[in-house]
Amino acid sequence: MADSSDMAQTNLPVTASTQSQTTATGDHPTSQVTQSLPIREAKSTKTPTSADNANAKKNVAPTPSTSTTDGSTVAGGEKPLTPAELKKKAKAEKAARRAKEKLAKEGGAGAAGSPASGAPQGRPPVTPKKDASGEVWPVKKEDKSVAVFGHLYGQPRRTTIAGAGKEVHPAVLALGLQLRDYVVCGSSARCVATLLAFKRVIESYTTPLGTSLSRHLTTHLSHQITYLSTCRPLSITQGNAIRALKLAISSIDPSTPELSAKATLCEFIDNFIREKITVADQVIAASAAQKVQDGDVIVTFAGSSIVKQTLLSAHKQEKRFRVSIIDSRPLFEGKNMARALANAGLDVEYSLVHGISHAIKDATKVFLGAHAMTSNGRLYSRVGTALVAMSAKERAGGVEVPVIVCCETVKFTDRVALDSIVVNEIADADELVSAQSAQQLTGVTDPVAPSKPDNKKGGKGASNAAKPATLASDLETSSSPLSNWKDNSNLQLLNIMYDVTPAEYVDMVVTEMGSLPPSAVPIVHRMTE
Amino acid sequence: MPSTSLALTPGLGSFLKSLKTNPVETSIENLISLLKRRQIRHSRSCATATAYLLRHVVSVCKTSDPLKLIERVQTVGRRLVAAQPREMVVGNVVRRVLGLIRDEAEDDHDAEFALSEAGSESQPHTPRAFDDPSSSLPLDRDALSLRGDGAERQTSRPTLHSMFSLLSHPEAEFSPISTPGTQSPNGRMPPHGAGGKDVKAEVLEGIGEIIDELGQVDDQIASYALEHIHSNEIILTHTSSTTVQKFLVKAATKRKFTVIHAESFPNNHEATHATVSGKSVNDEENLSTEAFQKPLIALGITVILIPDSAVFALMSRVNKVILGTHSVLANGGLVAAAGTRVIARAAKVHQTPVVVVSGVYKLSPVYPFDFESLIEYGDASKVLPYEDGDLVDQIDVQNPIYDYVPAELVDLYITNLGGHAPSYLYRIVSDHYRKEDISF
Repeated sequence: MADSSDMAQTNLPVTASTQSQTTATGDHPTSQVTQSLPIREAKSTKTPTSADNANAKKNVAPTPSTSTTDGSTVAGGEKPLTPAELKKKAKAEKAARRAKEKLAKEGGAGAAGSPASGAPQGRPPVTPKKDASGEVWPVKKEDKSVAVFGHLYGQPRRTTIAGAGKEVHPAVLALGLQLRDYVVCGSSARCVATLLAFKRVIESYTTPLGTSLSRHLTTHLSHQITYLSTCRPLSITQGNAIRALKLAISSIDPSTPELSAKATLCEFIDNFIREKITVADQVIAASAAQKVQDGDVIVTFAGSSIVKQTLLSAHKQEKRFRVSIIDSRPLFEGKNMARALANAGLDVEYSLVHGISHAIKDATKVFLGAHAMTSNGRLYSRVGTALVAMSAKERAGGVEVPVIVCCETVKFTDRVALDSIVVNEIADADELVSAQSAQQLTGVTDPVAPSKPDNKKGGKGASNAAKPATLASDLETSSSPLSNWKDNSNLQLLNIMYDVTPAEYVDMVVTEMGSLPPSAVPIVHRMTE
Repeated sequence: MPSTSLALTPGLGSFLKSLKTNPVETSIENLISLLKRRQIRHSRSCATATAYLLRHVVSVCKTSDPLKLIERVQTVGRRLVAAQPREMVVGNVVRRVLGLIRDEAEDDHDAEFALSEAGSESQPHTPRAFDDPSSSLPLDRDALSLRGDGAERQTSRPTLHSMFSLLSHPEAEFSPISTPGTQSPNGRMPPHGAGGKDVKAEVLEGIGEIIDELGQVDDQIASYALEHIHSNEIILTHTSSTTVQKFLVKAATKRKFTVIHAESFPNNHEATHATVSGKSVNDEENLSTEAFQKPLIALGITVILIPDSAVFALMSRVNKVILGTHSVLANGGLVAAAGTRVIARAAKVHQTPVVVVSGVYKLSPVYPFDFESLIEYGDASKVLPYEDGDLVDQIDVQNPIYDYVPAELVDLYITNLGGHAPSYLYRIVSDHYRKEDISF
């Protein structure tokens, strides 16, 4: 088989390429194949003499090697292949052709027939290549990461403390797990928790011999930080706090005795927490609460601790207002906020993202928390915040609702963001699956459930006597069609944590340094550095 | 009485089954209670059920006097609409059936006149319309007024004629059956001019055509898919809609694209998950054929499921937003699953085109002056489950089921008649419903 077509090539070296193309006209993909030939040729011509092929191509190779037609060089490209490789290629080629046939259904049979002769020399060098590109399919199947966000998928979050370095302090170990499970959640809370854990690290730290505290403690802390960042990517606040702490460490005079150096550092941490977060929060809450007026309807999104504080302090000032909390899947952070506010006696309304346009309809102000404020004045916050801010600004009535962001300056960053894709955090997609709405947890079968199969079966009376056991299992499996979504090729779940709200949707940023427009973020950030 | 017949299977399937055996009054009661309890939910199920019921009602009606028929259908229609005023498709189907009967009645009259006067066609009628100005009152139904109405129709025919043929032209390519546009006067005249006595049979046939249309509407809409989706596009859609799904599946047979699917969390996320993954949770509302549809992922389309909150974050990457709807209003606005409005708004902000796919039967001759009245609120426990019972006592939980999306947020409507700008919809409405039936 190979011979005959090889002969054709040797006889008509110039027309060989056209020949291969004419055979290819039968099905479309192959014409592309022939076009990609030269790429291969460049590689293969380097070693045309290593003819260990048992095939007849040996004869062909020397003669046309001088000619530069496609066909000849292809034959040369065959040379370096071992028989095993050839076999593999043939196999791959077969698979590729099958796929090809599926693609181009027209003339599938004809294509299968005619290439048979040309295949051994004309196709094999190429088809594996095509196959390689087609190979993306199965690879994609395993890879459940959304292509656009490919840069954000690091290694998966740490699931156990196994493998953590021995330098990692137990307090940090515990904190890491809490961060991962969202037990400690929220930008400020994560910052405070990290600093407190580091304080314990510093307290239990002893400088090894032959080095100084200011030099060694930084590297010791780096181990902790690396561990924490494998549990969950560090927040902007954590980063800012760590930077400040490292600066404080490095500014300690090496001659200072260890005890007093440690005391200084602990004091620094306490001060940092107090100044940047605790007191800052009080100042912000006090000044933001002044913005609340009697009769206001305040919309807020998810659970921001500082917004909660603001609303509570406004409530303490005996202001009468209503709060509408919009919450989102999968974290439902707003639930805790709703509980806290309701317990304090506020008038609370609660709905989810789907109800934004209803909640915003009679809103008079929108209060939002922040994960960070970027240097270009954009608000980087829990995913969904942008939708709320947008709805406030683009109301049907044309009356804009002021959007007020409460944010400590420690959340300001010099990073910039234009969209929510470049900078973001990807959480485990399974979180979207596991969160089940009210499903019956007890063994008792749902009274509605028995009627369900009946609906389907319709007239079949026999199946009406459905066994409770199968029903229960049915309930479990049918409760989530996504339960094994990873087996479904082409299906991807995306669970991003943040989004970026354009600066024009934010009217005011209330910080401990005053109320600012979002454009003031970089200036304030530079001042606090 | 109805409860016994629904005992086992409340839903569209059971209703249609029971329709054959039950007396007509029971069936009406049956559908009313299904509507009231929201055991029939999807627009199309409601429309189908209404159409079948009306066919039944007409067929058992003893008389073939068009006036009596109209009255009968009106009373039934009023009861159905009163049962679930927000399910606008019910009213739409009733209106179309009423329009059918009126058309038949007019044709009859035309035939009579043609026989008796045998003269020129339109001249004798025109003065009549001026004789009786009161005839424009829709509910004034004595013989005279109907004749007056008929004459009025007759005079306005020439203007309508061109519009109808304009509409019916593209549609004829896909389906042998005609939508009411073509059933209207000009289509009906020739076969009926001579005999024209069995109004009832004609009406039944017409209702049959409406039912056929309901069955085919999704496929007809899907046939436009390739005109609207190009290769490598990223398309965002929301909630689970058979129309959208069929549209995308049709496009997927020829094109490769990516679909981002927002799950519409508390109210319809399970169905969305099922459509996305292709594993149907037995959705008792859907017709069984839909359950067997291939999911997009099986056609090699990458589907990315996202929570609703991530819509804004991803919108910058989206080329087109394709939405299903619950009903479409005459001003081009639409009532769709809650969350649609923010999605449409986010698309507008990002300059992304918003395409709404909807059968003509969802088009309602309603101008929304009070959006609030169109919105239905649902089960609060879906938002806040019973585990948080302590909270439920203290706070006000809201679960809107629908959103009103204003027309300016929609760029294009695709119906079974083709693509339309939102501003054109009023015209389709006036083609499909007769003005005397708008508030029947």
